[in-house]
Amino acid sequence: MPRTTGKLLNDWLRSHVGRVRRPLTAAVAVGAVGGLLLILQAWLLALTINAVAIEGHGLTYVWPWMTGLIGVFAARAVVSALSEATAFEAAARVKLDVRKRVYAHLEALGPAWTRQQRTGDLANTLIDGVESLEKYYANYLPQTALAAFIPFAILVFVFPSDWISGLIMLITAPLIPFFMILIGKGAERLNQRQWRKLARMSAHFFDVIEGLTTLKLFNASRFEAEVVAQISDEYRRSTMAVLRVAFLSSLVLEFLATVSIAMVAVFIGFRLLYGDIHYLPGFFVLLLAPEFYLPLRNMGTQYHARMEAIGASEQIVKLLNTPLPESKAGTDSLPDAAPLDIRFEHVGFAYEPGQAVLTDIDFSLAHGERVALVGPSGAGKTTLSQLLLGFMQPQSGRISVNGVDLSELSEDAWLSRVAWLPQRPTLFHGSILDNIRLGRPDATPEAVHRAAELANAATFIEALPQSYDTQVGDRGQGLSGGEIQRIALARAFLKNAQLVVLDEASASLDPETEALITESVERLAHDRAMLIIAHRLETVRRADRILVLNRGRIAEQGRHDELLAGGGLYAGMNSLYGGAGA
Amino acid sequence: MRDLLRLLGLFRPYARWIAAGILLTITVTLANIGLLALSGWFITAMALAGLGSGRINYFTPAAGIRGLAILRTGGRYLERLVTHEATFRLLSRLRVWFYEHLEPLAPARLQYYRGGDLLSRIRADIDTLDNFYLRVLAPSIAAAISVLVVIGFMALFSVPVALTNLAGLLLAGIALPLLAQRLGRAPGERTVAVRAELRSAVADAVRGQGELRVYQAGRRQAERVERLSDELITPQRRQAHINGLSAALSGLVTQFSVWIAVLIAIPLVSQKSLDGPGLAMIALFVMASFESINALPLAFQTLGETLAAARRIFEIVDTRPAVTEPAEDASRPASFGLRLTRLRMRYTENAAWALDSIDLDVPAGGRLGIIGATGSGKTSLLNVLLRFWDYQEGEVEIGDVPLRAFRGETVRSWCAVVAQQTHLFNTSVRQNLLLARPEASEAELIEALRQANIHDEIMALPEGLDTFVGETGTRLSGGQARRVAIARALLKDAPILILDEPTEGLDAESEHAVLQALQILMQDRTTLLITHRPQALSYVDDIAVMSHGRIIERGAPTTLLQEGRHLSAYAHIS
Repeated sequence: MPRTTGKLLNDWLRSHVGRVRRPLTAAVAVGAVGGLLLILQAWLLALTINAVAIEGHGLTYVWPWMTGLIGVFAARAVVSALSEATAFEAAARVKLDVRKRVYAHLEALGPAWTRQQRTGDLANTLIDGVESLEKYYANYLPQTALAAFIPFAILVFVFPSDWISGLIMLITAPLIPFFMILIGKGAERLNQRQWRKLARMSAHFFDVIEGLTTLKLFNASRFEAEVVAQISDEYRRSTMAVLRVAFLSSLVLEFLATVSIAMVAVFIGFRLLYGDIHYLPGFFVLLLAPEFYLPLRNMGTQYHARMEAIGASEQIVKLLNTPLPESKAGTDSLPDAAPLDIRFEHVGFAYEPGQAVLTDIDFSLAHGERVALVGPSGAGKTTLSQLLLGFMQPQSGRISVNGVDLSELSEDAWLSRVAWLPQRPTLFHGSILDNIRLGRPDATPEAVHRAAELANAATFIEALPQSYDTQVGDRGQGLSGGEIQRIALARAFLKNAQLVVLDEASASLDPETEALITESVERLAHDRAMLIIAHRLETVRRADRILVLNRGRIAEQGRHDELLAGGGLYAGMNSLYGGAGA
Repeated sequence: MRDLLRLLGLFRPYARWIAAGILLTITVTLANIGLLALSGWFITAMALAGLGSGRINYFTPAAGIRGLAILRTGGRYLERLVTHEATFRLLSRLRVWFYEHLEPLAPARLQYYRGGDLLSRIRADIDTLDNFYLRVLAPSIAAAISVLVVIGFMALFSVPVALTNLAGLLLAGIALPLLAQRLGRAPGERTVAVRAELRSAVADAVRGQGELRVYQAGRRQAERVERLSDELITPQRRQAHINGLSAALSGLVTQFSVWIAVLIAIPLVSQKSLDGPGLAMIALFVMASFESINALPLAFQTLGETLAAARRIFEIVDTRPAVTEPAEDASRPASFGLRLTRLRMRYTENAAWALDSIDLDVPAGGRLGIIGATGSGKTSLLNVLLRFWDYQEGEVEIGDVPLRAFRGETVRSWCAVVAQQTHLFNTSVRQNLLLARPEASEAELIEALRQANIHDEIMALPEGLDTFVGETGTRLSGGQARRVAIARALLKDAPILILDEPTEGLDAESEHAVLQALQILMQDRTTLLITHRPQALSYVDDIAVMSHGRIIERGAPTTLLQEGRHLSAYAHIS
């Protein structure tokens, strides 16, 4: 990742701080109190040891300090738990907020965009990506603030006690973040490159496993074990060579922290011997020395949390920066119950300027008509149906509905009259009942049953152990492709829309299922307007009109037998079936 | 426990590296404890000497302090090197071992697992096992030994102090993490469940975005996502509170251990059975001793995951291969016609027949087209022919020799396969081609590419034959990848050709190019072509229509289309 991107992402992460400033400040404040308690604890302990070891007092003499210590312990425990809980709240608020925004953006990008994305990737960004932000707000931000405060507070107490130790600490302390940054920029980068290599090596391993069948087909699979061994060994050797150097910088770090403590101890010791200082401040400083370096040493972990969050935010920011399509601001409504009359008037569309997907599309679709769209893949059939559904707007020409421009209509007014069956219908997580009434959540069970019957779905649904209450979706009972299609048909029956757009499945179904679906589609077509993207011979034969699409243009249109007789593109596509019962 | 021992057994060859890493971890821990304790003792003794109550040889302890500081620093460096070296060695061993066990199982027994996405599960499990040594094994053994040394040393001064210190270490190192883990189980499971639900709600929303919009249900889905997102916070908050509390308690245990040690030691000083420096040493020693159990909470947490991962990996590895190989290979048949007689095959004993009474006869060099719905038995037929699965009844013969007389590898060496999901490896085009014939010359590669109708397109790529196939940027299109696979099949030059939906999912132009390439490939080879594309069917001389594991129609393409009842049901126009 280039440094500038890293900085931009860091800025993005920081931009959320404003909204959670209060819990974050509280977490840091509470943590700071904890730091002061720590110093108090060291002081009480030093008083106790001094009184007993040097001044020869007994337990009764030190008892007040000992009881004081118990109070400090308890307070520290409370403070530490409280700080963690507050920091969590800050992170939780950011996560909810970001997730909501990303989802809203995704929705606004619309089906035309999501269709081209990988579902798993988007789900990962929205779930795991957002989760990885947690550590940044819950750990990194409060901990780095404390890593600055606590050593500073300790120094404030160390200097009056023993300025020489204070000086040692003051000089070595900045060296630690300095080396940390050096690691961050130099050796750590090497280190990360090695981890990327590890990821690549893993990728190779799983590539081999995924392709095991292919390897076996070429009888190369047994040989591959040696390759796996060889690659991991090479990886180990090259990584260790890098690590030997990379770990040197952490060696320096460790050295600074540890040797400083040793130095503080030895210096204090000798000045005690010569009577230059008193034991009490000396021991107090020794107790504080490890605590002084601890937050600085932990900064490595925090730095890692930050890197992780920056990595995760990359996908999120990319998604949020995807420009939204021009919003359709139509507000007109259609007069109720008027039969639909849809016209495509010289419609043209391109995803990229200059690369037309549809050119000069001109046809009409009226109530009671069934129009089939055929053509090779990539001819523009899906794009055409998406324009009709209003997922995208034509760039030239217009689509009119009963004389009104489709883009002038409000989305609700238009879509309330439309039902759509995509090639692979989505079953949403929930019951079959809820899935059928997707468009009419208030429909009665009777109405749903009726729709299922019309879709030839009732029989198989009722045969399921939990009938309409059967849970479907990725963790539900596995339904076959034909069954899913019939549930989608039931959805369309229940909506009872005036226009049905149907994208026929291209996968092969067994003949019985096929017949059930054909019969149901026949029923659905009755008394409506229907546009079918057709893949089956049977379907086109029943259409009132066939539009043959080729390279974004309507090449031919007419009835099945007319087109066959015409001897054009359609006849060519059908050549093999030419005599088959036309 | 058995899984744990088996896992350890796997690592035995690297026992020395493992032991060295653990030893260094212990050294580093003890050096730090020693450093702090000795410092406490030293300054107290120096103070007393300064006050005139006793003389002191300060050279030895001062040198000791410096020595321990250096031992800790250097030891830490070596420890990191050695534990990483061990981790990488184990990682390599684990992968090779897993691969060697997996290889005989593919693809038959693996298909069986396909229910859950096997690959991503294996990936996560292997990653978890990679960390077993670094996160679980080394820290827990090192902690156990360090604690013993620490307690033993403390017992030299005061047995009661040693015992309370031990109690504190056990409490903070074992009891608290276990308690936190137990308390965290319910919110943990809840988090996983809600997260899965949220994931499927988001995936639904992405996949079904169009439907949500058309059926005007987008608002409801958004509310559902938001509600689940909210719901996810509750168990996470609980988990955060448990973690916070457990950290606070563990701090409390540390501090109380020091407190009690001091409480026990003060009367000893008064009784003169312990001197002042001893008291300071004990206080600092007990405080530092808790470093030895620092890594235990994480180790406990990881142990459960590791064992679960190991169990799943062992489960896969312990599966029996689907086909038993003959002791000796039959000799190569004179011709490569295929004959299937009343063949029956099923995947498990109680399952329905996946292939039922199949009779087929493809003469050497003949071409048979197979058509059928998903699940009609086409894939099972390939599994039998390629010797990936065994059959139960009937017979399959290649050139009049029963299939079972040949070793799987031998059968597969006679078959070239182009399938919809033929895998191209994430390496160069050249490497992918050489898989078929490792000794092929440059000229042979070029010729194969030319025949597969892909030569010019490959040469137009920035690095030609050495272009990486899967790396981002220069990915091949679906049609190009399919034709590279055809070139690979051409190079293999096998007498039997199996084409499984070779043009599925391609656009019209790619399909045309692929079909042209196939025509050359099919010459003089016994060919099975599975497809439902009319364009492809014109290349075969015989068609079998399959349904529910049976052949329901047979005949020449033209006759079937005229008279057959079933073929047109599968016929797709585009």
